[in-house]
Amino acid sequence: MKGSAYIKRYWQLYALLLLPIVYFLIFRYGPMYGVQIAFKDFNLFQGIAGSEWIGFDAFRQVFAMPDFYVTLRNTFMLNFLDLIVSFPAPILLAIMLFEMRSVWFKKISQTILYIPHFISWVIIGGIVYQLFGNQSGMINNLLMNMGLDPIPFLTEKNPWLLTYLFTGVWQSAGWGTILYLAALTGVNKELFEAAEVDGAGRLKRIWHITLPSIKPTIVTLLILNLGKMISIGFDRPYIIGNVAVREYSDVLSTFVYRVGLESGQYTLATVVGLFQAVVGLVFILGSNYISKKLTGDGIM
Amino acid sequence: MAVKARKGVLSRALALAMATAMTVSLLAGCSSKSAEGEASSKNGAAESGKRVTLKVEVFDRGNSPAPHTITNNYLTQFVQKEFGDPNNIDVQFVPIQRSEEVTKLNVLMASASDVPDIVFVYDSSVFYRYAQQGGLTEVGPLLDEHGPNLKKFLGEETLQYGKLDGKMYAIPGKRAITGRYASYIRQDWLDALNLPAPQTTEELYNTLKAFKEKDPGKVGGKVIPMGMALAPAQYEPLIYSFIKPVKGDLTYPQRYEMPFHEGFKDAMKFMNKLYNEGLISKDFSLDEDKSQLVKDIQNGNVGFFSDDVDRIFYDDGILDNLLKNVSGSKLAAIDAYTNAEGKHAKSRYASNGLYIMIPKSSKRAVEAIKYLDWMASGDNLVHMYSGVEGENYELVDGIPVMKPDAPQEAVDRIYNGGDMAIISNGKNFGDVKTNEKAWIFGFPERNQEMLRQSIDIANQDTIGPIAFGKPIEAEAKYGTALLDKLNVIIVKSTMCKPEEFEQVYEQEMKDFMAKGGAELQKELEEALKELK
Repeated sequence: MKGSAYIKRYWQLYALLLLPIVYFLIFRYGPMYGVQIAFKDFNLFQGIAGSEWIGFDAFRQVFAMPDFYVTLRNTFMLNFLDLIVSFPAPILLAIMLFEMRSVWFKKISQTILYIPHFISWVIIGGIVYQLFGNQSGMINNLLMNMGLDPIPFLTEKNPWLLTYLFTGVWQSAGWGTILYLAALTGVNKELFEAAEVDGAGRLKRIWHITLPSIKPTIVTLLILNLGKMISIGFDRPYIIGNVAVREYSDVLSTFVYRVGLESGQYTLATVVGLFQAVVGLVFILGSNYISKKLTGDGIM
Repeated sequence: MAVKARKGVLSRALALAMATAMTVSLLAGCSSKSAEGEASSKNGAAESGKRVTLKVEVFDRGNSPAPHTITNNYLTQFVQKEFGDPNNIDVQFVPIQRSEEVTKLNVLMASASDVPDIVFVYDSSVFYRYAQQGGLTEVGPLLDEHGPNLKKFLGEETLQYGKLDGKMYAIPGKRAITGRYASYIRQDWLDALNLPAPQTTEELYNTLKAFKEKDPGKVGGKVIPMGMALAPAQYEPLIYSFIKPVKGDLTYPQRYEMPFHEGFKDAMKFMNKLYNEGLISKDFSLDEDKSQLVKDIQNGNVGFFSDDVDRIFYDDGILDNLLKNVSGSKLAAIDAYTNAEGKHAKSRYASNGLYIMIPKSSKRAVEAIKYLDWMASGDNLVHMYSGVEGENYELVDGIPVMKPDAPQEAVDRIYNGGDMAIISNGKNFGDVKTNEKAWIFGFPERNQEMLRQSIDIANQDTIGPIAFGKPIEAEAKYGTALLDKLNVIIVKSTMCKPEEFEQVYEQEMKDFMAKGGAELQKELEEALKELK
């Protein structure tokens, strides 16, 4: 096909692409100009260009802060546990949904499972406090009425981890099934029928047909998740966390918020942000490389 | 500053705000030169006959009663009519949410074009940072020329707070009342147990024990002898009764500087004892906004608590609700905590309020000073705080007394009086006694007597903040981290088992010192020496 004809035929697709490109240019590439703040003694009133270069001074300062290492460790820990607990959850859920026969029941369950995704963390935080509080929490009130000791779900670090992970699964597992279900609808129905004729039971079919057909999706999401190991959302640890479990709930994003926005030390906050970006890049490239070696699937 | 915001409105908004801040400051960087050029010719443009706009920050607490909005209400119209129109100025109010005051201001300050001409903060370290980075207009000469009423109103002592290296960079608001905290006990519980009101910390402890064991309020397992929250009004009165001030009745000003005092550990130990014996709110560590505490008090489950001196007395406030919810309940103001010397030591405010600043990029510095001067002149402050004579209040001995039967429409028009009258924190009439009287008259009549007692308690044996008159660098650097860490110390050493207290406390203090505490302490001690 000639160039002009090609454009003529597919211009709508390019037009559709325009919006995301503009978005990325403005909100993802534009702010990169600000990365230089990490190497400058940023003065709010001089602007980025007017501030003085300080080389790697700010990096030295950040790497000397004890809080930095604590939050770094917590970020890895929470993300790693999340990967173990929250990553398989949507896969299991998607397979279960896929195996369902009754269409209306499937539709209803899907809707119910999606709802938590649309609830903001601020509201989830309120629910969590009402449910898990020591004194006024519903669960602990039940336990105490049965003569048991209350469990400090929110104020003791290890039980808090469970609370943190559980709310994460509750909030995101349903929504996470969408990609897997989309992948599953593309699987040739004849494969299942043939397997059934050959006498394969349900578990066999799941193992030999369903799982292999969503393997690329799983690998892609796994790589993306590994790339995110060093970055962590702000609201979940900030809202579910509290002072009593600060040694676990303080993560890089809350650290950046405190240092950068609350204390106005933009240079230090930018250093942490840049550090996260660089390590994140290494992670995503590394996991992609390993995945390609092992399974032949990757994202690049 | 690439925070990866993936989920949720909050983080997305945050990322957007950061991105905006960056782009905006990018633009600011380019235009800083021209802005400075214009700023240096700060002649009041209004004088040349052209109508100008003066932008003024205002706190938005999201409580505007219809039909008012935060930017268009009775008081903004009053300002426009009385100050704006005669001077050929459009006064425009820029709302900033109260809870994110500093973060929002940081973003605004970075943009030379959007920042209001009048901004303010309570936090001295923010003011010093702006001043040191060269972001503020020097107001001294302007004040001499255009602010005679303002200077008279504020007085030399208050004005000192706005200085850095001998130059005035902020106009400090004046605080009418420096008393801060009082404590309250359920009188009906005391009566039921035939106990006297506790006069010392020791007696208080015994009373709390009695509350716990005998449950005089018959609230079942829900009794909370002492209501506690992770908020200064609850823990500061307790801690201040243990610590030894560093300079007579003055001590280090910031809350996170409490751990540097002799006696802080004893305070923590006492908290630990109270917690482990089930005498304070179990979930206090989760209750930073006091919402749970308020619920517990209003439901009649709390026997004793401390709070800001005025907080429980508002119309339909905590006290009103308690009396309504629990029949036969009675609350009494008491001064229970005593220190080693037997004094009822507690903290008080400095004599200044907000730091009011004019950004360097502002071209309306003259108008800004004129506006503040206007506010300080005539009876404008009275009008902003108390409304219209005859409709909102009657004058008694020169003090406005709020009319209890004023129509809601009249009450609503001064709903944000305190936030609009930025030069005055509380109603200022000259001497403290009159201020207090005027303040009390603003409350429902049924609560006025107890508020009077509360104020007397709050003024007893107070410990004030030292004004160093110069920035403490470590405060700006580590302040927020240390404030957070202070909360951790309080929570951890309170909630651990008694036998673990020593170890937990030492560990957390070590951490506190490592996170900048040691540096701050050194700087404070040096500053203190210089002061003497």
